[in-house]
Amino acid sequence: MAVFENSKTFSDVIVGFFNLLGDTPQVADKLIASKLVIRFIYSDPDVVVVVDCSGDAVDVRPGDTETKVIVEMSMKADIAHKFWFGKVNLTMALTRRQMVAKGPVPKILKLLPAIKPSYAMYPKYLVENGYSQYNIH
Amino acid sequence: MLPEFYQFHHPTKVIYGEGLVNDFAHEVEELGVKKYFIVSDQVIHSLGFIQPIKKGLEEANFVITGEFYDVPQDASVEAVERISRHAGDSGAEGLIAIGGGSVIDATKAANFVFSEGGDLIEDYSGAATLTRPLKPFIVIPTTAGTGSESTLVAVIYDVANKTKLAFSDKFLLPDLAVLDPLMTQSLPPGLTASTGMDALTHAVESYVGVDSSPHSEALAVEAIKHIFKYLVRATDKGDDLEARGGMLIAANMAGSSFSHSMVGCVHSMAHAVGGLTRVPHGVANAILLPYGMEYNFEVSKEKFAKLAPVMGVDVTGMSIDEAAREAIAAVRNLGRQLNALDAIPVRLRDAGVPEESLPTIAEAATEDGTIVYNPRDVVAEEILIHLKNAY
Repeated sequence: MAVFENSKTFSDVIVGFFNLLGDTPQVADKLIASKLVIRFIYSDPDVVVVVDCSGDAVDVRPGDTETKVIVEMSMKADIAHKFWFGKVNLTMALTRRQMVAKGPVPKILKLLPAIKPSYAMYPKYLVENGYSQYNIH
Repeated sequence: MLPEFYQFHHPTKVIYGEGLVNDFAHEVEELGVKKYFIVSDQVIHSLGFIQPIKKGLEEANFVITGEFYDVPQDASVEAVERISRHAGDSGAEGLIAIGGGSVIDATKAANFVFSEGGDLIEDYSGAATLTRPLKPFIVIPTTAGTGSESTLVAVIYDVANKTKLAFSDKFLLPDLAVLDPLMTQSLPPGLTASTGMDALTHAVESYVGVDSSPHSEALAVEAIKHIFKYLVRATDKGDDLEARGGMLIAANMAGSSFSHSMVGCVHSMAHAVGGLTRVPHGVANAILLPYGMEYNFEVSKEKFAKLAPVMGVDVTGMSIDEAAREAIAAVRNLGRQLNALDAIPVRLRDAGVPEESLPTIAEAATEDGTIVYNPRDVVAEEILIHLKNAY
């Protein structure tokens, strides 16, 4: 059974977390430096989010299916959830097709060291925002 | 310690033998289709390599529906698009690549659109974009270096945007690789040495990389053993078919190894050197491999120490540090032997790299996608020290 019961809940969780990353200079500065525009396409439940780092700030746009993006990442919501706990090896997930990446994958791989701090932020974020039932212990 | 998780997936049938390119119809039969389109480059075509292969296949009732010999030195998007279009128009049911890394990668990428239609960059650039196998794809390598006949990756140059595009998918792996030493015997010493050192770099970096596994390590070790046994011989005497065969096998094993475990900081540096100064990839790897090993020394010394005897070093009585240093010395010595044959330079300055470009190269190396597989963080200031040493 999927961790998140419906699209709205997962969208609230993931969009809120992306916004938190965008407000955290330690992570956001590197995301902005990358100039990447990424569309995340989640399934089970279905959610689409664009994270646009092409401007002066990280712009998170839920439901954006129109913007021409640089990279498109598709995965199950459960995999994304595990990823933000630091429990998914991105390269292995791509090899196993748990994630599908369209576009310049090396640019995504390059961001991995930059987003390392977010793995500690995610469980804390869940607790502080009333989502502690989704925490992985 | 065993990895927490790994997978090994190698569906490519590899056949090896002298003269096999004229007699592999039996294996092609197993692929179930009759009509093939051949892809190569002008050099291979002018050497007369294609005709006997065609003849062998046609005598076995296969149909060659068309040929394409215009793959440039860096496989381009335009070439890939032309290959898929011509192959499709010709009524082919499968592809045969005869050549080095560029020809193989161009044909590999062409198989996306040839098999599935769509747009190469929009639909397939990235990782794991396919959901089912492509049309039959046969590779006959004419260099012993990239091992692309056994990798799930194709790198294509986007001339319009001056960038290299990476395509990675398990369905890109060829169905059949035909390794025939006769196909590499006319390779000149410089290319023999640089492509061979490229294969050595694949094997060493794959062996110590963060995603290494028992399977990839086993292939890397055997590849390294073969390269130390045969590379100087193949470079010195091109018609030494045993050495040519040994190098083809080594490059293939190294390719399969790094297809699973990827490469690290030597490739980060070599990609930066190549991008900024156009030094050929194999030459850059050949020069930088011992320096990259030094960069990783503290975190990889136990593995380097294990490689020392594979490289022919007698490690009796040596500490891990001493054996690891001997492994680096063995790699450096191999480069010097090839340099003595006038085959490759051993210094960046001798390859035409301007000294003032080193800081830019170091910065660019830290931007390369391969850094995530390196066993230690790739830091520009420290990379620069090793680049200066290599200068």
